[in-house]
Order: sequence, then structure tokens, then C-alpha cells
Amino acid sequence: MDRFELRYADYSLDGEQEAVRDAFHEFFANECPTERVRAAEPLGHDEKLWRQLAAMGAASMGLPESAGGDGATLVELLLVAEEAGAALAPVPFAEHVAAARALAGAPGAAAELAADAAAGRRILALAMEPVATVGRQLVPGGAVARSVVALDGDTLIVVHADELPPLAPNQGSTPLAWWDLAGGQRRVVLASGSAAAAGYQIAKAEWKLLTAAALVGLTERALGVAVEFAKTRETMGVPIGTLQGVAFPLADVAIGISGARNLIWRAGWMLEHEPAEARRLVPAAFAYAAQVATHGATTAAHMQGGLGFTIEADASLYFLRAKGWSLLAGDPAEDVIAVADALAAARD
Amino acid sequence: MDFGRVPLDASEQEFLDDVRAFMDKHVTAEVLEEERRTGSGFNERVHLALGARGWITPTWPGERGGAGLDPVRARILELEMRRAGVPSITHGTTRLVLAAVEKSGRPDLVAELLPGVAAGTVRFCLGYTEPDGGSDIAAAKTRAVRDGDEWVINGSKIFTTGAQNCQYTFLITRTDPELPKHRGLTMFLVPLASQGIEIQAIRTYGGERTNIVYYSDVRISDRYRLGGVNDGWSVLHGPLDEEHGVRAAGPASLGDLSIGTSFLQTLGGAIDSALAWACTSNRADGSRPIDDRMVRYRLGMVALHMEAGLVTPGPMGRVKGSDALVRGAADLMDLVGPAALLSEGTADASLTGAIEAAHRFAQGTATYGGTVEVFHGIIAQHVLGLPRPAYPGSKTLVSRKREQAAA
Repeated sequence: MDRFELRYADYSLDGEQEAVRDAFHEFFANECPTERVRAAEPLGHDEKLWRQLAAMGAASMGLPESAGGDGATLVELLLVAEEAGAALAPVPFAEHVAAARALAGAPGAAAELAADAAAGRRILALAMEPVATVGRQLVPGGAVARSVVALDGDTLIVVHADELPPLAPNQGSTPLAWWDLAGGQRRVVLASGSAAAAGYQIAKAEWKLLTAAALVGLTERALGVAVEFAKTRETMGVPIGTLQGVAFPLADVAIGISGARNLIWRAGWMLEHEPAEARRLVPAAFAYAAQVATHGATTAAHMQGGLGFTIEADASLYFLRAKGWSLLAGDPAEDVIAVADALAAARD
Repeated sequence: MDFGRVPLDASEQEFLDDVRAFMDKHVTAEVLEEERRTGSGFNERVHLALGARGWITPTWPGERGGAGLDPVRARILELEMRRAGVPSITHGTTRLVLAAVEKSGRPDLVAELLPGVAAGTVRFCLGYTEPDGGSDIAAAKTRAVRDGDEWVINGSKIFTTGAQNCQYTFLITRTDPELPKHRGLTMFLVPLASQGIEIQAIRTYGGERTNIVYYSDVRISDRYRLGGVNDGWSVLHGPLDEEHGVRAAGPASLGDLSIGTSFLQTLGGAIDSALAWACTSNRADGSRPIDDRMVRYRLGMVALHMEAGLVTPGPMGRVKGSDALVRGAADLMDLVGPAALLSEGTADASLTGAIEAAHRFAQGTATYGGTVEVFHGIIAQHVLGLPRPAYPGSKTLVSRKREQAAA
């Protein structure tokens, strides 16, 4: 990596990207108040909201036009993911989109499955661990997905379940479920050889960036709640937000959010344009977003004192999901190590 | 959105080659060693050579002493100067002050100074901080009193980095102690050769030289005043906002996103050293440090915070850049172990000296240009919209009130 290389640093959104962000911002603002988030617990899935979202094209927009999509880039999907995350939307957006894009690019995908995925009629999920190395595994979105895309040795497979597995109740109220992908369900080989591994790696990288974007949205909203509290709650005759012991930790959260968002965009852009850069930036972006979100949600809850520790307070929703989302793919420390791996590989 | 390499046409490539040849010729090992030893942030030979090419004010047209560079060429120059390690503190403060001089200086003063700035013979430093004032620069007590067509200045300024290499200091003075704190200030461009100025060196353990500058009955002409009497705060605001990244508006798609970028380039050099150490040294069992997952975890953590810092915008980037460097350099020291303590510049530290130097240098970055606490306040109020705290001294000079009360 050449740190003095002449590159563009253009983080601006074009008109179309702004329109996508604004449309989904408005959709979630109208349709997904925190009451609806709570109503979807403990499963963490609102089927009606998912259908509304699919009707807006969220399930298909990132698919190639040949697969019934709009050919949106990953950056556009990241904008949607951030809005969904900010609203804590109980929908498996990252899981479905990452898996559906992998499926659409695979030679062995059945047309009917692809069409169902594009319409959001059949929810897909992505297994986070290779099938061969573990037995059963917790699959994010696995309690609402009838099909799971996974890597088994050197084949990319999709496993279909006739019945949804039961929810594994969890801290983040996400639709986690145990899947035994080596077992007897119907499985279809999507791709094999190096294309399989490459396709899976891209899908997992996309899931991580989409989840990271959702974590940034979550953190910004949690911060907003805490800032409003700090403006209005008084102690000793002044708003607590005037106290440095309150204001400075909140400023630290803002620092994290602003960098994490840009790092995610940069990583997402590189994943499509310069995979060698993405190898370092994707794990960096995910690990940083996980740190920013868990630190930010903790800080935001704490700034509301004991109230922030109650289930009644929305701060609880953000706190529980910050960890609940950032841990789904395993210990984020693995992503930290992956950053060093990329540096060492670039040096060799 | 675009993060790609900027494609260069043949003439731009030629310019890049020319810049690199210039740096090879002028920024020699001796120049770098001298800078390491003196920490002055300035090298006169290099600075004058840059001036001869119009590269001190590179975007100015040739007839004004610039090189008429377009944004791509100006960015190429900036990046290659950093790559080569051109000592650039005084260059930076000169450019910062230049905007205020152009905007608020009298036409005859501007006409007199600008050719020298472009040529490299006229250089500016910042006379902001006072020994008992710290980051609260609006609390300046250095007095300027009018005497006919002249002003008489008394007081002292600390951390006037580069004063020994500059011709003028951009001085904030108190001209009316009765007015509210921010309204009684006036800015001057004080010739450092004036009678009554004494410059004393201060060394930092970051290896830098800075100064304390004493002003004793220094008389200067009114022509060196910048802007109106008692209107100094508005004159100061331009350069200050630039330093604070408050006005970092627009996509600036070729520039640095973070105003802490230079801190992170120091961290980048330390990471490169740590990576080289981890990949090339051998442990007792024959393994390399990089084979150890704990080493990779710690190295990865420092690297990812550097990446995050580089893309953190505005005033947030200043805090993140310093924070990543302070923590990162300390972590890399621990990672390497006692060998990391060996002094930069000695034979044993050829591989890890950059880490040792970065660790010492890092501490200053949390303070200069406004402490990270000042920036936390800016973020809290301007980004988050939190209410501004009401401190006794935020609008008036507290010490002055105490003096009056005592009287």
C-alpha cells in the first residue's frame, strides 16, 4: 500500500444514491417506529414489513438486471442497510441480499429460486462458517430463511428446508437458528472450485459491510436519543449536555460514527473496483463498526443513567442489538487479525 | 463516490517525474538527518529551492511567483513532499497566515511581502498561545498600546514554532482590556527583527524545537496591523477555522479528508516498521513474530484505527488522528518489546527507530493546533448541537476582573 498515492477521496453521493437513501429513510421513518421493533420481538422479524420492503425493491435492487434486479452497486445497498439499521428494522436485509447476490452469480442456481429471491418471496440467508469445519451452526436470519447459501469444501451450495427451524432466542432479538447444513435437507450445488470459494468470500464480505452499515445507523440513532436526553435533562441547574463528562464521551461516539461510515463506503467501493485494497479494508471496516457500535450504544445508554438500563427505554434496544449484530459472524477479533494478514500478504 | 487512482496523462506523469527528481536532489539524507537532530521543521536550502520553482505558493500564477499548478499537479506536489519528508512546519504556518495577510493586510504591505513569501525569503509563524493561557487563545494578555503611528507591544508567547526561521509572527494582542474578551483583540504581523524581541528555544521530547518569544517595548508601525483595531478575532478566525477543520466543506476529492492525516502518516511509518520487524525477525523457536496470532491481532488493531482515522472528516478527524497515533505508537512499542526502546538514529534501531520516534512525537499531537479537548467541545456544540457550557471566563477576562476586584 502506497500511502502517498494520488487517489480521489470523493465521498459524495450522486443524485440516484441520494434518492435511494432518502426513499428508504422515509420508508423506515413512516413504517418502523420502535413500537414495531418491539412488537417483532423475540423473533426479530416482521413479515409484513419485509413484504413492504420487498415491494420497494429492496430484495431485488442489488441483483443484476438479468436476474430481475436493478443492478444497484454495493454502495447503494449500504445506504439502505444504514437506514434499516437506524430504524432497527426487524428484517433480514443483509442476510438476504448477500445470499441472493451470491446465488444470482452462480451457474447452478435455479431460475425459480432466483425469481423467488428477487421478489423476496423466499428469504435467503448465508452460513457464516464453512460446512465442513463445523457441525451445526447458528445462521443469522436462519429462523426465517428457507434457503441457506454455504460453502462446503470447494463447492458453493444452497440448502433448502421444508420447515423453518425454531428460533434460538438471543440477546439481539435477531432470527437466529441452528442449521445442520451437512444433514439431510435438499441441497443444490451452485458452483464449484475456485469460483465457489471466491463467490462465498464476496458474499461474506458483502454481509459484513451491510451489517457494519446497519451498525453505523444503529449507533447514530442511539447517539441521537442520548443527545436529546442530554439537552433536556438538568442537574444542578444546567443541562447535563453542558458537562464535559457527558458531552465529551458523546463527541467520541460521533467521531466513531463519522469514520466508520466512510470506511465502510470506501471498503464497499473497493470490493467492486480493487479487491486487493478490499482485502484490508473490509475487515477493518467491520471490526471498526463493531467497536464503534458497542462502545456507542454503551455510552448512549449510560448517558441516560439508570433509565438507560431499563427495558422501557429505547436505549435498551440499541444496546442489545449492537452486540447482537456485531457478533453474528464470530469474534470480530478475527477481522482485526485479517487486517494484519492483508498487510503481511501485501508485503510479501 | 470515487476512491480510485487518479489517471495521469503524459504531461502529468512528466510533472510527477520532475517533482520526484527535485525531491531526490534536494531532500537528501543529510537534510533528513539535520531535521531529525534539530527538529526545526524547516530547511532553508530546500525551502528556497521550492520557492525557485514556484512551489511554495504552487497554485499562484507564474507572474506572482507561483507555478500555476492545477489541482491535480498541486496534489502531486503535496504528496511527493510528504513522501520525501520535506521539513514543512514553517511552510505550513506561512501558508496558514498568508490567507489572513492577503485578506486583512494593507495593500502596500501585501505587495511588499507576497513576492518574498513565494520566493521563500519571507516566512510566518503563529504567535497565539501564552505561557499561562494554553488553548484559550482569546484570553491573550500580551498588550499592544497605540502611540501615534506606532504600537508598543509587551508580553510573551509560547510555542511559537519556527520563530528562529521566520521574518514575521502572526501575533494576537490585547488592545482593549475593558471590552468583552473576544472584542478587545487586534492582530499584527510583527517583524521578528524588531528591537525588544527575544526568542528562546524550547525542546520537546518529540524531537521538535519550538520557542518562547518575549516582547519588551517592541515598537512597530501601524502598517503591520491586520484588520481593524479590536477586530482581531474575525481576522484570526479564517486561519483558525482552517486549522480546526471547521470549514472543511465540499467533497475536496483530491485533498486529505482528515486534518489529522499528518499524524496518521507518522503512525503509518511506525506500522511499516513493526510489520517489517514482525516479518523478518526470528524468535528463539525459529518462528517469526507475524506467525503469532497475538502479534497479528495487535498489529491489525493499530492498522485499522489508522485506516479509520484517515477517513474521519472535519474536527472529528483531528481527534481521531491524534488518538490513533498516541495509542497505536504505544501499542507497537509493547509489541516489539524492549528493543523498541532503543533510540532512533542508533544502529540497533534501524528497523524499529520509527516506532520509538513516533511514540515520543505522538504526545504533542494531542495538544498542538488546539487540544483534543477543545475539539471535543467543538464537536459537542457544532456537530451534536449540545448546549454550550457557561464558564465564568468564556466571555470576559476573568483575571482582569479579579484584578479590579482586588483594587
